[in-house]
Amino acid sequence: MLSISVSQCRTSTCMDVSQQQFNRCREESIQDTQQQSIVPDDLLIALKFVFGSCALQALDLVDHHSVTCLSSPSGRKAFQVIGGSGRLYTCFASCHYCPCPAFAYSVLRRNDGLLCKHLLAIYLCEAVGGTLQESVSDQQMSALLSGTAAP
Amino acid sequence: MTDILTLVFRTFTSQTDGSEELTGPPTSPATCSALLVGDAGLSRSVLLLAAVTAASEVGVRVVFFTQTRIQSLPPCLQKRKILFSYPRTMEELLQQVARLHEPTNTSPAPPSLIVVDGLEGFLCERGAGLAGFHPGEQSVQAAHLSALLCDSAAFLTRVLRSRSPGADPCRVVASFQSPGDGGRAGGEASAADPTLEVLDRYFRVRCTLDRAGSYEAAAGGLHEVWDIYLSGTGMADASDTT
Repeated sequence: MLSISVSQCRTSTCMDVSQQQFNRCREESIQDTQQQSIVPDDLLIALKFVFGSCALQALDLVDHHSVTCLSSPSGRKAFQVIGGSGRLYTCFASCHYCPCPAFAYSVLRRNDGLLCKHLLAIYLCEAVGGTLQESVSDQQMSALLSGTAAP
Repeated sequence: MTDILTLVFRTFTSQTDGSEELTGPPTSPATCSALLVGDAGLSRSVLLLAAVTAASEVGVRVVFFTQTRIQSLPPCLQKRKILFSYPRTMEELLQQVARLHEPTNTSPAPPSLIVVDGLEGFLCERGAGLAGFHPGEQSVQAAHLSALLCDSAAFLTRVLRSRSPGADPCRVVASFQSPGDGGRAGGEASAADPTLEVLDRYFRVRCTLDRAGSYEAAAGGLHEVWDIYLSGTGMADASDTT
């Protein structure tokens, strides 16, 4: 015999607040004379307030065009970020995961932050249109997603 | 995923007097991923029932990952709609899940249900050889696999809806038994397990299977009585939208 009960467990979602900031980035960033997107100062302050020092590190990655969107013939997508050390990190398109040590320690273990700088850089690049594009084969995409691709 | 689980429980539950009709939240992105925790044997049975229900009642393709080979299958089981895969290691499991997007796995139809039986068996291995991981870090392995499962389901959902606009989303269900699980009260199972906390980030619904030891069950002469608890952020989000 089975008895069923439902207990509702609500946890706060700070990503709702963060998503508002990304939407503002997309809407309020302007093009300068060199066709580069500029984020208004008040929005930068808001990002710093929400994400702390991670925001500055992520913006630095954005400035260095460190985020690439990989696409394969099947339609599958993933993001690849060049970290400060030059190492490549493969992140997913629809949920938060990064193989970097900061994500493992600060996000997963200590629950100190929502994102690492690589994931935040992805959001910001997508918001301001700064993501590079690259095509890979389906097999290469599978290797990248599983973490078994050669570094 | 809770829609399929609700269908399973409704089908295989003995309704007693005064019990309410079993209803679950409607299918939504919030309820598409579910994690079964508790007794390993019962979890495996529920996963198999979910796979069979999805293939026969709902009529969708299922891919079932497990380390333990299925010895025998009921004659009525629609084998063509359920693909059983037996990865031996975490690395093999990651590779097989990562390949779900390839045309060989999405033709003629992509899977609509991904099942992973016994996550703990895959996570107990060292993470050697996986790029970017700290060796032996179960939480990181759990996060990688869970994120890959959810991302794969999101992709397969887009494929399903591109072929049939009203199609239901691709669902994910997995089972996990914490060390020392068993004998705990429902809802409190393995609350301090860091790996389970990581899994809760990605699996929006937790289905806790707990062996009930109630006086009523003993008095009723029932041999097996189980309590099932549905919890998680997915349940709250789903109820908000109804």
